[in-house]
Amino acid sequence: MATQPTIRIRDLTKEFGTFSALSGISLDINPSEVVCIIGPSGSGKSTLLRCTSFLEEYTSGEVEIEGRLLGYRRTASGLVRESEQNIDAVRRNVGMVFQHFNLWPHMTVLGNVTLGLRLTKHVPRAKAQEQGRRALAKVGLENFSDRYPSQLSGGQQQRVGIARALAMEPHVILFDEPTSALDPQLVGEVLDTMKQLAKEGITMVVVTHEMGFAAQVADRVVFMDGGKIIEQGPPAKLFNDPQSPRLQEFLDTWKSRNMLFQADGRSPGTAEEGARP
Amino acid sequence: MATFALVLDNLPIMLWGAAMTVLVAGVAIILGMPLGLILCFGVVSPKPWVSRISRIYQSVWRGTPILVQLLIIYYLLPLIGINVPSILAAILALTLNTVAFQAEIFRGGLLAISPGQLEAARMVGIRRWAARYHILMPQIFRLVIPSLVNETISILKNSSLVSVIAVTELMRVSQQIVATTYRPFEIYIAAGIIYIVINLLLSLAGRSAERHLEQGI
Repeated sequence: MATQPTIRIRDLTKEFGTFSALSGISLDINPSEVVCIIGPSGSGKSTLLRCTSFLEEYTSGEVEIEGRLLGYRRTASGLVRESEQNIDAVRRNVGMVFQHFNLWPHMTVLGNVTLGLRLTKHVPRAKAQEQGRRALAKVGLENFSDRYPSQLSGGQQQRVGIARALAMEPHVILFDEPTSALDPQLVGEVLDTMKQLAKEGITMVVVTHEMGFAAQVADRVVFMDGGKIIEQGPPAKLFNDPQSPRLQEFLDTWKSRNMLFQADGRSPGTAEEGARP
Repeated sequence: MATFALVLDNLPIMLWGAAMTVLVAGVAIILGMPLGLILCFGVVSPKPWVSRISRIYQSVWRGTPILVQLLIIYYLLPLIGINVPSILAAILALTLNTVAFQAEIFRGGLLAISPGQLEAARMVGIRRWAARYHILMPQIFRLVIPSLVNETISILKNSSLVSVIAVTELMRVSQQIVATTYRPFEIYIAAGIIYIVINLLLSLAGRSAERHLEQGI
């Protein structure tokens, strides 16, 4: 029980029609671990995260959250689709942060952060607001409770997205390209917030293109391509000593793009933030 | 001058008819909103049979003339042993009709809301109907106010048809006055003006509702 992974993925496959987006993914996420998933576009990173949260039904394999199977029920004749209610129960300790924030525009920042508490944990309004403010303080937005999402910058909106997940006190937070929709100058504040969470020991799975972030913050980096995990390991090892040609190629492409920016004398773009691997 | 006096003499009874028009159309529109919303969620339901039945309902009520619907309901109810005053038959017919149109209006609003908002709701454990109530509905209503005003105006005008089943609304009252005074021109123009005034007021109310709800977005 002590060593039970927070998330346990076995032989996961996802097919869209005849296209196989994920094939045979197995991955454990351990408590307090920060795992970054990198890889080229279309490699299945986001699909993996969406299957892990069951926003996307997987085709075969298993996803377990703290020992409980997500999305399906084991029966004598195989896996049977679970009811929404039971899916919610298994997913209860999983938070998610989205690429496009997905805030609710008709509600204030505090309303966004507290709605889940009030509706699913039935926390009374005053108590929920107190918890919500605490979550907002963690992302540095305690003074923005009464604003509406449209009155905030992209970076601030994403931090509200993080606070909304935090308020539910999840055991693990999944980040789906949390900075990809942001202007370059706004990426830093979101990454800083995430670094802070990592320090506090929150279990995180981050799909990202931010190599600098992965290098600095991740305990483990997972490289995916073509719907498979090609290589994984500690960032120093993975970035400095890639074993597979595909990872080598991926890193080379990334490095040469970096050099291009530097040669141009243009300001470093998002991916160059803390470029170091 | 005589014309003016004629209209003025009959104005109180015409206004009474206008009140009946507003009542019939207003009740239909208001009853139609929750039902239209439910039908809208039926149309977009992932369950194929729910969505198919909802669409069939829509096709039937949007594809037949309101006058036909009205007469069928008026003559059908007594046949199946339900005797209701003609005003209730009128309200029923207009409601069932506007439900089909309002569902389509709400669906348009629904499509304008990113599905990601519902995914975010699911990830904090909010159940489907709670998400619809707290997240979708407030946004849908804001988005569809202009279309909803149009639908109200359309139902209000169409309510003139219920005069054929002897509901004494504005049109019926006007016909009765014409029958005794033989002055169709003046009376029907007066009726038209009353319709226009009501609809103008509706548009104004819609615009102020829009402005009111815009705050915060």
